[in-house]
Amino acid sequence: METQDVVQKPARTEPAKSTLPQPGRPIPSRSYPGALIVVEGTDGSGKSTQLYLLKRWLEIGGYRLHFTEWNSSPLVKSATRRGKQRRLLTPTTFSLLHAADFADRCERQIMPLLQGDYLVLADRYVYTAFARDTARGCSPRWLRNLYRFAPVPDITFYFRAPLDVAVNRILSGRPKLKYYEAGMDLGMSYDRAESFRLFQARILEEYDKMVETDNFVVLDGTMPVNKLQKQMRDIVASKIDLKRFAPRAEVAE
Amino acid sequence: MPDQEKDKPATAVAAEAPAAPAPPKPASPPEDHSQQPFFGEPLVGFDPSEITGSLIVIEGMDGSGRSTQIALLQEWLESEGFAVQTSGLRRSNLVGRDIDQLLAKNAVTRLTLALMYATDFFDQIEHRILPALRSGTMVLADRYIFTLIGRGVVRGINRDYMGGLYAMALRPHLTFWLNVRPETAFGREFRKAQAISYWEAGRDMSLSHDLYWSFIRYQTMIKREFEVMAKKHNFIELDGEASVSAVNKLLRQRIAEQLGIRSTKYTPSSALSHLWR
Repeated sequence: METQDVVQKPARTEPAKSTLPQPGRPIPSRSYPGALIVVEGTDGSGKSTQLYLLKRWLEIGGYRLHFTEWNSSPLVKSATRRGKQRRLLTPTTFSLLHAADFADRCERQIMPLLQGDYLVLADRYVYTAFARDTARGCSPRWLRNLYRFAPVPDITFYFRAPLDVAVNRILSGRPKLKYYEAGMDLGMSYDRAESFRLFQARILEEYDKMVETDNFVVLDGTMPVNKLQKQMRDIVASKIDLKRFAPRAEVAE
Repeated sequence: MPDQEKDKPATAVAAEAPAAPAPPKPASPPEDHSQQPFFGEPLVGFDPSEITGSLIVIEGMDGSGRSTQIALLQEWLESEGFAVQTSGLRRSNLVGRDIDQLLAKNAVTRLTLALMYATDFFDQIEHRILPALRSGTMVLADRYIFTLIGRGVVRGINRDYMGGLYAMALRPHLTFWLNVRPETAFGREFRKAQAISYWEAGRDMSLSHDLYWSFIRYQTMIKREFEVMAKKHNFIELDGEASVSAVNKLLRQRIAEQLGIRSTKYTPSSALSHLWR
């Protein structure tokens, strides 16, 4: 789906600028008609599979939607890749580079689509940065400020899987873990698999802390895929007025 | 965008052992801000007590004479026996060239650009400025967070947001502001390149189709931000319209005081004498 397709709604009362909040307001107030659904969870928690199935369900139903992934903006990609390959990244620059990447996607895709009344599905969102960068030692207060421009999701699904289940899913499927992915920069272990396990444990801990503060909808990542998907669809249907995103032609009839 | 680096093997670091554990530091807000080495939060994994060098920042708009003064100060300090490291915007190994490409393409939004500049800044802090300061080197910074904050704020990014972004920036020992009128700066910049660049004139802000007025209005907005920050952060304001030698003398006096240098006598070598006006 092209971003250019989106400019068809009349001007909103609140301009997009208002997503940068005033001091004291933790995160922007809503000023757009679209809806944002986010999946979060550790690697191997099953979140991407579930979001894919949700996306298929909505696509087949003909709803207006856009899917966006963490770490995917072409503008910032080469810098991230170089930083990782040459191991130039520190916790601070790792975090900033991902924030730049997210800002690009937020300003050029997510916000315009939400303004244009789309349903936006995000595979990982700012909570990934909160969990991962806090696990790397960044200040939580600094991180919360860094991502203040991000719109608050309508639903945040948190796929929770026990550490061993998630880690084994990844270790059995991936021949070699990458340096930063395994948290090798933290110097917790010389063994990549062990370092990955320790890093994921820290991340899981940070995710769990956000369940209350950030209104996560917790789903059990160990359930059978189809049962979990049924739960997810029911929750989406109950929390979001899906009719609004139905094909425009049908609405007209 | 093409990535020239992607085929270069990372052999130099491939066999490297993991870095020493960097225990996460608790982020307790400092009480007396002016005495803290960082503006707000400590930088992950760095101990500010190891700093023995001085961080000297020269701020000012394009055409205020910053780089001329830094070249002269470097020569003077070296003649006095001090090791000098310089830093400036877009000079990081990590993203310096990526920002150049983003600027050339003009496809980037203000927030992404602000965050790329922040990445560039902290990469230099961590890999260039802090190592230098820990080895007792003097760091002369050609612009610092103040320019970056000012640029973001005039583009409508929340002032507190920009301040929070740079909470872990090292507080300079001295911050000089070479204050010039935008009209003077325009003349100097134009003579340099026989043109005014897109970003210098703030053309992304659609202030005016006339390049001269766009430059003047943009630089005036930046200047107003500097006036706000000058009070808050104890800038030493110097008249950038004065002659190079007069400005340099004031800089030397203030720096000599900071570093305990007794003599401020200095005449540029033949390599730099063309700057001495």
